[in-house]
Amino acid sequence: MEGKMVRIQSYELKVDVKDEEKDDTFDPLRASRGSIVVPSKNSEDAPYASKSDISSSYVQPLGKEWTTFKKFLVQKFPPSKTVAVSSAADLVVRSHKAYEKSNTHLDELDDPLGSAVEDVKFISQQEYTARLSEMKNEILCTWAAGDHFKSLKLSVARLLRDTALLQFYPTLFTLATDILDMLGDMVWQRIKQKAEFSEDGSQNHALPEDFQVSDVCSDAKETCHNWFCKIGSIRDLLPRIYLELAILPCWRFLLDDTTDVIQRLLAMMRGLGNPLASAYCHLYMVYCVQKLPLCQKGYLVTCIKDINRMMLPLVSSKETTEGRNNENYQVLVHLMEPPMWYIMKCLFKDHQELPPEAVRSNTLHILDLIACGIGSSFDQCMNFRLLGFRLYETDAPVEIVNVVLERVMQDVIEYQDLDNFLKVIDGYVDVVLQNQMKVQLEGLLERIAERACNKWIKDSELESLQSVFIKILSHTKCLEDIIELNFFAEIIDVMRGASKNAINMRILQIATRSGCIRCPTTIQFLFEVCQGLHNAKGSSDMLDSDYQPLERLCSCFVHMVDFGTEWERHLAFLIECRATFASADEIKETLVHHANCLVMKALKDSKQLVSFGKSCLAFSEATIPSVATPVKQLYLYLETAEVALTSSLVSHSDGLIDSTISSLQNFVAQDSVTPLDVDRIICIIQKLCSLLIMVPGNPMRGVTFIPKSLLSLVNSHSLQKTARLRVRILCANIIMLAALSQHKLPYSPCGTKEVPGNDLLHFDDLYYHEELASICGHILPDFVHAVKEEASPIARGSLALEACNCIVSALQVWS
Amino acid sequence: MSELEIKLSRSNRIYRPDEPLQGKIITKFSSSVSHYGVRLSVNGSVNLQVRGGSAGVIESVVGVLKPITIVKRSVEIRPSGKISSGTTEIPFSLILKQPGERKSGKFYETFHGEDISIQYLLTVEVARGYLHKSLSATLEFIIESEKAEHLELPISPELVFFYITQDTQKHPLLSELKSGGFRVSGRIPTQCSLSCALRGELTVEASALPIQSIDIHLLRVESILVGDRIASETSLIQTTQIADGDISRGLTLPIYVLLPRLLTCPSVLAGPFSIEFKVSIVINFQSELSKLHPKSDPRTPRLWLAMETLPLELVRTR
Repeated sequence: MEGKMVRIQSYELKVDVKDEEKDDTFDPLRASRGSIVVPSKNSEDAPYASKSDISSSYVQPLGKEWTTFKKFLVQKFPPSKTVAVSSAADLVVRSHKAYEKSNTHLDELDDPLGSAVEDVKFISQQEYTARLSEMKNEILCTWAAGDHFKSLKLSVARLLRDTALLQFYPTLFTLATDILDMLGDMVWQRIKQKAEFSEDGSQNHALPEDFQVSDVCSDAKETCHNWFCKIGSIRDLLPRIYLELAILPCWRFLLDDTTDVIQRLLAMMRGLGNPLASAYCHLYMVYCVQKLPLCQKGYLVTCIKDINRMMLPLVSSKETTEGRNNENYQVLVHLMEPPMWYIMKCLFKDHQELPPEAVRSNTLHILDLIACGIGSSFDQCMNFRLLGFRLYETDAPVEIVNVVLERVMQDVIEYQDLDNFLKVIDGYVDVVLQNQMKVQLEGLLERIAERACNKWIKDSELESLQSVFIKILSHTKCLEDIIELNFFAEIIDVMRGASKNAINMRILQIATRSGCIRCPTTIQFLFEVCQGLHNAKGSSDMLDSDYQPLERLCSCFVHMVDFGTEWERHLAFLIECRATFASADEIKETLVHHANCLVMKALKDSKQLVSFGKSCLAFSEATIPSVATPVKQLYLYLETAEVALTSSLVSHSDGLIDSTISSLQNFVAQDSVTPLDVDRIICIIQKLCSLLIMVPGNPMRGVTFIPKSLLSLVNSHSLQKTARLRVRILCANIIMLAALSQHKLPYSPCGTKEVPGNDLLHFDDLYYHEELASICGHILPDFVHAVKEEASPIARGSLALEACNCIVSALQVWS
Repeated sequence: MSELEIKLSRSNRIYRPDEPLQGKIITKFSSSVSHYGVRLSVNGSVNLQVRGGSAGVIESVVGVLKPITIVKRSVEIRPSGKISSGTTEIPFSLILKQPGERKSGKFYETFHGEDISIQYLLTVEVARGYLHKSLSATLEFIIESEKAEHLELPISPELVFFYITQDTQKHPLLSELKSGGFRVSGRIPTQCSLSCALRGELTVEASALPIQSIDIHLLRVESILVGDRIASETSLIQTTQIADGDISRGLTLPIYVLLPRLLTCPSVLAGPFSIEFKVSIVINFQSELSKLHPKSDPRTPRLWLAMETLPLELVRTR
């Protein structure tokens, strides 16, 4: 054998063939990866190929699948240039005239040259292939000439005895079975025709696809029987089996139940001493049996057992035999893998994978199998991993899980490669968590940490890590459980990029599921998580669409943090947050709410916390201007002003109201004020007016300073066109002024310390009341102006009515 | 061009003696043909031939013995007249065994052997006077014994056990075989229905040498009474390999041999001749020596062969 021995690395099972549907390959214990593209050079351009129709429906997908498999075979074992041909293949080399002259029955179908001469010749692979297709044509010719049985003489089945070809054997197999299939189809057609047509060529009846023996006329049966007799008289075992397999579907003309035939053929195959010949013969059998309807699958198990028995000596002798033989054995084993694989595939055709019960009851056997690496060309780690998944799916009992995990770890501990290690761990995380095996989980994490820390983690490893951690997190109900978990945080620390973000997000989701967060460690941990996520913003690791949920999660976290009565500490936390999330509007909003909330809580709790209140207000005052959305800013100002008023910090509230008005001015001054904004402004001003009722007038600036500045806002150039806004603001002002002019104000801040209202400050103050009246006097012409500005008569009428209503209701109070 | 052909009603041409032999004579003449009658004749006979060897010198010179006639009958299908041009079909139906006929003419089943051949021929002859050569056509048909003579089914397959070891061999063996030993056991029937396959089993229990091949030989023993001596000749009908290469020890292999038609028939023990069968199991051990004798007769005892031959009675069952 001249060609080099190809060490087959990984067993790629997928074959992509142009213009053919992808073959749904699978492996019961392993997901297939990768693909091989096979050049579409093959022998299906045979003249007969299109005619084959051994009762169509169940055979057609089979044929396609078989073609794909054959291409895969040829591709997997590319033949070398020259082929050493032993005497068994003499008919390829020599002209077949040699046995034309045979006349006795004995010689008719046998190799007259015998098989004893070990004469080795070298011919090129092309020559060999060419000779085979020549033989194919010869068969077609003799058939067409009416000499049907003679086509058996040219049978190529005998070639398959030449197992010394090794690497070329799979190619030979595909070529030879191609011819055999063709012959089988021709015989089938011939017998079917006999069954359907009478001698003079008229059709009697078409055979239904699921015909019975009783539907077949005796003439057709006779012909069929003759074929089996002819094949039965072949001396050599291997060609005899191959030929019977080629016309196996024809047994349907003679028998309704072909189980016995299959059993007999299987038993006959035990007489094949050569493991390679035996394996490929089994392969062909499995293919042929599928052409029969409703075949039982039991025979497949026998096939596997039989091949296994042949393989075992090869595998076990690996260790003992040395040198060239050893290498030969290895090649043999690899050559025998595809038949095994195909048979397995057929066995699991309807299941796609091992049924759960089978896994459950054979877990340890499977483990042994993986561990001892019999399938050495498969990735051991993928098999371990898959076993873990199956354990999880089958709800394996804890004891088994424990045993398996221990055994797997023993093997896996030697893996230097983090990626493979993680792949295995990934398979077992679920089952460990399912059984709440915390110790084991920490053990796993420790081993990951050993490998992952202090090294650069590759992207693929990150993905595996992410998968492992997401699994851990999805099993977690309480965040504390995770934080307590040894090595958890360490490993997260060494992660980076999108994987880390995904895990952090998940942690936050879990954290914000519960009510509030009190534990300082947790708070610190989560704060860092938020920080990490926040810093990742804008980097390529995070999508823009992730921003919003992220901000929501962070503000949710901030909202849930609770330091109890440690007000100062809480404020410090808020300050820290502001520093960290300076660019996140939603979080800052939450921070201000929270600070206000803090003031109120502190106020209720203790009346002595004036300075703390001031700090909080100062925090809010400093934070609000940085909020980008004007409307939000305004609301926050008002809220904070109210809080300041409630906590009797009048100067703060004054300052905040000033800020509100100036920011209102800025907002109004913008060109792009939408109708929605108008409504919001009305709302804010109404709110402001209602607040102003409680705010004591500033004697330095004059008690009506704020209403005046509001009025100037109304008359500002930018608001000229929005009559509705102006009318509403004026109404609010009128009502506010009316309320202020009452002897007792309708409400006061419900704070702990009384803030004296204007009613008290200006009790019986004529000047104060005159001033209020004078403003009202200014407002009335403004009303007229504003109403007139409305273009639509209906809206104008409605605004006029609104203004009147307001004035009238104020008048009543006044008089 | 003129053509004459006999076509039987059954495409497999198998008839029983008590069944009518039906069919038609087909003529394809380019012009009409006048004739003196169309005759159909049946001729069944046992043809015997003695080759050298066990027979004496004289017999070997004589060679062919007088055939034993089983049936000889001639029937006129058409009286003299004319057969028109084109295709003409003349149906016929012949009764082979007249109910009242003498018992001596036993219808043996068709058998094509080496020394003995039992053959049934149907000949049609169109006699055309002295000026023209008469036209004729012959067709062999196959006789299977009458239903009445069949054994009841199922025949109990009497399986005999056999053991083949270095000690059961009468011929010298390779020294490795003799010393290392081997043991092959199995079961095989001694009686087999012609319509079924010969089914048995075989197990290689142990072997000092790897096995090259295991073959089942189907043998026929044809004996002819020549004078006061019996000339008996054993020849090979068919070889069926059941193991190719060194098979696993302890594994039961099936023996499955399809009996070829015409070359086998129910075992016959008639007065002047007998046809019997044997099965021979031959184990061929791997040996450099065997390569030097590639074309040796498989029945010849060799150093690397071990064999066991058992009688086999073939029967026709219903």
